[in-house]
Amino acid sequence: MKDLVGGNQKRARFQALCQSLRPDLLRFAFWLSRDRALAEDVVQEALLRAWKARDSLLQESAAKPWFLTIIRREYARTFERKRFVTLDVEDLIAKEEPMLAERDDSDLAEMRAAIFRLPQEYREPLALQVLMGYSTAEIAAELELSNAAVLTRLFRARKQLRASCGEDTRMDPEE
Amino acid sequence: MMDCADYRRAIFADPLHPGAQLRAHAAACRDCSEYTQRLLRFEGRLERALHVNVDALGAAPAGVVLPFAASRRRAGSPQRTRRRAFAIAASVLAGVLVAGGLWIAAPGSSLAADVVSHMAEEPDAWARTDVAVPQPKLDQVLREAHVRLKPSAGLVSYANSCPFRGHVVPHLVVQTDSGPVTVMVLAHEPVKRSVRFDEHGYRGMIVPVPNHGSLAVLERGPNTGNRAVEGVASQVLGAIEWTP
Repeated sequence: MKDLVGGNQKRARFQALCQSLRPDLLRFAFWLSRDRALAEDVVQEALLRAWKARDSLLQESAAKPWFLTIIRREYARTFERKRFVTLDVEDLIAKEEPMLAERDDSDLAEMRAAIFRLPQEYREPLALQVLMGYSTAEIAAELELSNAAVLTRLFRARKQLRASCGEDTRMDPEE
Repeated sequence: MMDCADYRRAIFADPLHPGAQLRAHAAACRDCSEYTQRLLRFEGRLERALHVNVDALGAAPAGVVLPFAASRRRAGSPQRTRRRAFAIAASVLAGVLVAGGLWIAAPGSSLAADVVSHMAEEPDAWARTDVAVPQPKLDQVLREAHVRLKPSAGLVSYANSCPFRGHVVPHLVVQTDSGPVTVMVLAHEPVKRSVRFDEHGYRGMIVPVPNHGSLAVLERGPNTGNRAVEGVASQVLGAIEWTP
């Protein structure tokens, strides 16, 4: 009986943790995959895997990077399972237009389309930094890169985005 | 001493986390300071762009979709797993929300949506700083709304009187360890219960204040589990006093 109560409490706690993190995990998966349905599937599978491996989460404060790593691996597995054909990014943008559009703010839709056009090697560290609040060192650890490589990718990501969005780039630094 | 080119290369890759050396350069160089402000405006748009509406992602808005029943069986295809999970979630979600005494704000049409819209008008208020707003300015904003704030509210770095839904309301920013948290004192907006929201990159809650409307408390950026928002809501509720 005691075990049952303890188990229920543990489950409720884990469920609450998932509830608080799920919006950002979904967003991250969406920007990673650029596909709404795939993002939902990846997050769902990742939550299942996380529940099964819950004992390896030693501290709740480490939950976000723990979930994120599981999501990245699950996304990589999806690639292994399916052999994706090369897609035209403009087709991806058209397909996800309802997700990218923003009522009364066409600038935001333009920015989202520009993010879609970034190569994954730039898009992923940018999402980790801006969306997930990762530091350069944390991104480097997650992506197994050097700090300098991460900063270069973030620099190039912003460079491309600002040019795509028609920003005044005259004072922007050169690499 | 860092030169302007070095500064801009460094700030360009990570505008939100300048180290001491970068902050010192910006403080001493007006051109670079102005350039940084422009970068931060762009950064605000980038942040909002990345925060796509999760209600449109998935059939279970902002709720837990943890398929415990499914976890005892062999996992099927992702699509099947998702359908299974959503079926379970549908029954779990209502209980979770009601038990927590909170409701998720309906996007787009709520008080929360208007609060979030207002945030977009004052992006500069979100600076992370340890410098308090000048006391005379804070006093003026609070006086206009017939409120006082005890020091236990925390470090208030920004204060402004803002038009909102036909009234002028105090718009304050309280600094916390995890970043700035905005508080709007909405004396004319009573709510029956606390409402959580997560819209366009802003997440927070509307908290009822008995006989004095409500407080909107919100943060933006990475999800910190609402701890900062709940902490500031509690601090401000304990520190606010109403004057005739």
